[in-house]
Amino acid sequence: MRPGSCEHRRRRVVQKLSSSPRPTPTPPPPAGGGTRGGSRGPWGPGWGSTEARRGDALSDGRGSVRGAGMSAALPKVLCLKKGALLKQVFVLSRAATPRESCLCAAGGALLSCHRHYRSRPTHGIGRFQYLLPKEAPKKKKDKVQMKEINVGTEYEYGDVNIYMTSYDMCLVEHFAQYVHKLCNRLSVKVNESYAMPTKTNEVQLLEERGSKLQLDAVLTTHQRVVQISGLSSTFAPILLEIIQNNQPEGVHLLVKEHTEADFKSRLKSRPELEELLAQMN
Amino acid sequence: MAARTAVHCGLSGSVMAAPTQRAAGWGRRLCTAAAHRPWRLFGAMCLLRLPRITQPLEKEEEEMAALMGQIELEKSHYSDHEIRKLEEEEQLRRRRESSFDDDEAPSKTLIMAEDLEEKWEQKLLRFKAAPRITDADKNNNRTSLNRRLDSNLMLLVKQKIGNQELWLLPQVEWQPGETLRSTAERAMAAFLGDHIQAKILGNAPYGIYKYKFPRAIRTEDNVGAKVFFFKAFLQSSDLSQAELKEDYLWVTKDELGDYLKSEYLKKVNRFLLDL
Repeated sequence: MRPGSCEHRRRRVVQKLSSSPRPTPTPPPPAGGGTRGGSRGPWGPGWGSTEARRGDALSDGRGSVRGAGMSAALPKVLCLKKGALLKQVFVLSRAATPRESCLCAAGGALLSCHRHYRSRPTHGIGRFQYLLPKEAPKKKKDKVQMKEINVGTEYEYGDVNIYMTSYDMCLVEHFAQYVHKLCNRLSVKVNESYAMPTKTNEVQLLEERGSKLQLDAVLTTHQRVVQISGLSSTFAPILLEIIQNNQPEGVHLLVKEHTEADFKSRLKSRPELEELLAQMN
Repeated sequence: MAARTAVHCGLSGSVMAAPTQRAAGWGRRLCTAAAHRPWRLFGAMCLLRLPRITQPLEKEEEEMAALMGQIELEKSHYSDHEIRKLEEEEQLRRRRESSFDDDEAPSKTLIMAEDLEEKWEQKLLRFKAAPRITDADKNNNRTSLNRRLDSNLMLLVKQKIGNQELWLLPQVEWQPGETLRSTAERAMAAFLGDHIQAKILGNAPYGIYKYKFPRAIRTEDNVGAKVFFFKAFLQSSDLSQAELKEDYLWVTKDELGDYLKSEYLKKVNRFLLDL
């Protein structure tokens, strides 16, 4: 069963709810329509009886369909039945409530998620994408970072990197999260928060009186970086002290200024390109 | 006197080691009104040894950690090692049930997962962790750096002020021509020797304590003293070449109350971060 079909059905029924009240009733949903197909003009004086009939029809319909194919059809049918129930509720309350509140009862124009067709006079209402400023096309090549003045008249640091390294990945990730949230709370601008590639070390034991190296353990080193900028020199010692005091066991902390070398270390080197360049020069 | 105060405010106004805005404002205000009441300046150093182990968890934290661990274990997938172990157990069981059929050739002279686990267990039993409560804790020896590994330790020194011997953070008088931070560094060097590896994080002081001299000593030019506190973090914890002076103590924040006077303690407590 297509997952979208149920919603599509539901949407159509809701649309009918919010449209203007018509003297003739909307045709009932097709499933289980055998009993109800012929009903015409239930809006006449025999309202109560029609209602009862419809209710019977509904239950009949439900029962019959339930007897039929179960698993695949059931959710579809239930959606339909819910729509039909909604419609019945609307019809019942129609006499008492005016039209506008019926719209609200249906959920309002925004929530009812129906689009007007092109022939309708209200087509295009609510369009705003043409009012937004045009975005420049995205450049493929990444430019090198912009550097801020280090010690200016405001006594501010430029881009500062906080490196957190550990063997335990969960610990270092949680600590990086904590540092990031702390900087957010203290209104320190966080430029980036990224991870460096994991380094794997194999610890091998050399047996005494033997030359064979035996694999002892595999250690993975994880590193997370949080880059902040705009740290004032009066606040920097306080922030560093807080981070130091909250440093967990097993995490190595390093705070240093951002340099181009740090930026380059994140990029992969392309040996073929370098070879070709060397050949050219 | 006027020359001294002029130098005073000139220095505090333009010192390149950015004092806090409050101190700078004070310096500027001092220029105008200071000719009458000069204060003597001191730089004091609060030397901190950072904690080496984390504090023990509270009861609720422990229960929560156990619960989260249990949830995580139940939600997790098997690791490679566990899958291997389960497979080998299956094989063993099958071999026993099929009563030495040996259709799979016993070429498994490789180590089984169970053997690996046993080896690891043995290794773990041989490992002995260092004790959390050290000897210095048991003897309550407050002069050693090895006590209270889970909290910040501060250096307190007995100094003679006026005619009283008081427990204070090491302080030294400011001399014209140097920054307050270098005064504090000088104080640390005076008490602990030159080769102390301590890191001061910023140029701004963390706190200030000012007091007026008793009426007997107070003169027009010498009303009182202002002590500026700086913080430094000990990088290495071996102080073998240090400890020139007589009485020193390493205390935590809650033990400070035993040694410091109440007013002084109030100002010091303001900038101490204790978790």
